[in-house]
Amino acid sequence: MAAARTQPAGLTKWAVTLPPTVFLLAFFLLPALIVVAASFREPGEFGGLAPWPAHSLDAYRFLFGDVIYLEIFARSFLVAALTTTICIVLAYPLAWLIARSPARRRDLLVLLVILPFASNFLVRIYAWIMLLGPANLLYTPFAVIVGMVYVHLPFMILPLYTNLEKHDPALLEAAQDLGASAWTRFWRVTFPLSLPGIFSGSALVFIPVLGMFAVPELLGGTGDVLIGNLIKEQFLDNRDWPLGSALSIMLTALVLALAGITAWAARRGLHGTEAVS
Amino acid sequence: MRTRIVKVLSAHYASDFRVTLQSRRRRLLLAGVLSLPFVGLARAEDVLHLYNWNNYIGTETLARFEAVCGCRIKQDYYSDNEEMLAKLEAGAVGYDLLVPTGNAVESLVRRGALRPIERARLPHFANLRREFLDPWFDPGNRYSVPYATSITLIGYNIGKMRELGLPTDTWALIFEPKHLEKIRGRVTVLNSQRELMAAAMRYLGHSMRSTAPAQWEEAKHLILRAKPYWATFSNSTYIKDLAVGNIWVAHGYSNDMFRAREDARAAGRSFAIGFSTPKEGAVLAVDSFVIHKSGARPNLAHRFIDFMLEGHNAADVSNLIGAGNTNAAAAAHIRPEIAAEPAIFPSPAALANLEMLRDFDPTMRRRLSRMWTEIKVR
Repeated sequence: MAAARTQPAGLTKWAVTLPPTVFLLAFFLLPALIVVAASFREPGEFGGLAPWPAHSLDAYRFLFGDVIYLEIFARSFLVAALTTTICIVLAYPLAWLIARSPARRRDLLVLLVILPFASNFLVRIYAWIMLLGPANLLYTPFAVIVGMVYVHLPFMILPLYTNLEKHDPALLEAAQDLGASAWTRFWRVTFPLSLPGIFSGSALVFIPVLGMFAVPELLGGTGDVLIGNLIKEQFLDNRDWPLGSALSIMLTALVLALAGITAWAARRGLHGTEAVS
Repeated sequence: MRTRIVKVLSAHYASDFRVTLQSRRRRLLLAGVLSLPFVGLARAEDVLHLYNWNNYIGTETLARFEAVCGCRIKQDYYSDNEEMLAKLEAGAVGYDLLVPTGNAVESLVRRGALRPIERARLPHFANLRREFLDPWFDPGNRYSVPYATSITLIGYNIGKMRELGLPTDTWALIFEPKHLEKIRGRVTVLNSQRELMAAAMRYLGHSMRSTAPAQWEEAKHLILRAKPYWATFSNSTYIKDLAVGNIWVAHGYSNDMFRAREDARAAGRSFAIGFSTPKEGAVLAVDSFVIHKSGARPNLAHRFIDFMLEGHNAADVSNLIGAGNTNAAAAAHIRPEIAAEPAIFPSPAALANLEMLRDFDPTMRRRLSRMWTEIKVR
């Protein structure tokens, strides 16, 4: 009987996991491999790639032979880190308030957070042009950060809210009974428990910011070029697919490395708090 | 007009979240998708597919052709030659007609993507001005029929320029610190390596087709010296910024400057916008009709091109967006104040001083891209 019961379970598992696996293989892994392959080819005379046998390491040699590209990478990571930090600071109190409000009002509040997505991304950025222009803040690094934070804030609020909502109020009551102050209750109970929310929110903000080229292009000044702009330029304006591909690969590799480090740190961090408690 | 990013992004971002939010809308969408094939069946009439710049053929012009041919014209738009080439490269098919700029025509011809033009089907071909025939990008006009032109030049706030005593007929206005000091933060230049560096090359007295690295380095240094005075690199927002008065000087396309001027006029601003071609020479863009191989209706495409070659139809684009015209028979139908504008209709001498952009080989492209990145970062 037991064996008969596990068999359909196995089938179900396959039926459930197969479509997303196939989807990811076909639409993520395969294109990624094409990009890797393109980075080792040579640019075509009129864009695209040169005919098949031509290949070289030129694109990578070009990128690493020059500090200027690393500089843009560094700058992009800085902007992404700053955006993520500001998003955490702004999103945490809001997510906490939503999680603590009466259950019937929560859905409405969450809906309000997602509401901006109902209008086009570019329309919202153009609105910032109208707002920042008269204040003489348009075309500055500040405007870029404002735009980035504005666009990505909901991606920080939602995972944080989902996490905070699940906290058991009894834990805080227990802490209070044991004489913990409001700050201690937050720092020793709520915050450590919310770390997974912070990590997933940060990943959802940090990584898209790295690839974002529209915000710096529309709100930034003469110096605000980020890695996203550089990649876009290679594919469209400059028609240099191998160089654009090599830049994309470098970005992906760096993001993966960073995600790995974060995951490792997160696991260590969680184990750490377990050990304390 | 030539901002690529708007289209790329609106497609990318707009769709993401809306659909998942409201299941009712999703159902509507699904119903729409399911009914599409039937719509196609119901209208089995002739359809001509155009892949074109936005607002590049007047709606009345199109309506006149539809009435004549009993067919329907369906347009898709691109905001940039590169966007159009990239989409075709990625396998887009079904377009009968495209309206690329010279270097993009060359690229399409070399890839074998175009159908030869059958001259016998174009009785009005003789209307074209001789100086726009037999271009370098398509010798003998085997694949292309010129349609409209624009010049990359300087647009400015006339009042401010007079007040500050600044010259408006030279690239010095956007490159020389002695002028820029008076208009710091009120200048935008195109966010285009090719256009901006071409302007710098002409100001320095070099050809924009030069392949001498030293000359391009010189252009880079000229740009880097001027950059601190510029507000930003802008490909589209300058139209609004000029018309509103935020910006006093902009490097951009004549069509856009024309629009900024009309907008400022329509809004009743206290200032007026002017534009002129720098005496050192500038970039000329000639856009031509070409027939794509993947289109289903080459005959109808020829008919449309010939229709557009008739003087009063050809004139519409100049009256509509202030584009230069390649058609001699159009002259009589163009509004006098536009026909008299030297920055739209240059004299033969001025025309000889303009250059079209050409594509460089991949090595040169990479070298210029490296310079452009440095310009952006420094």
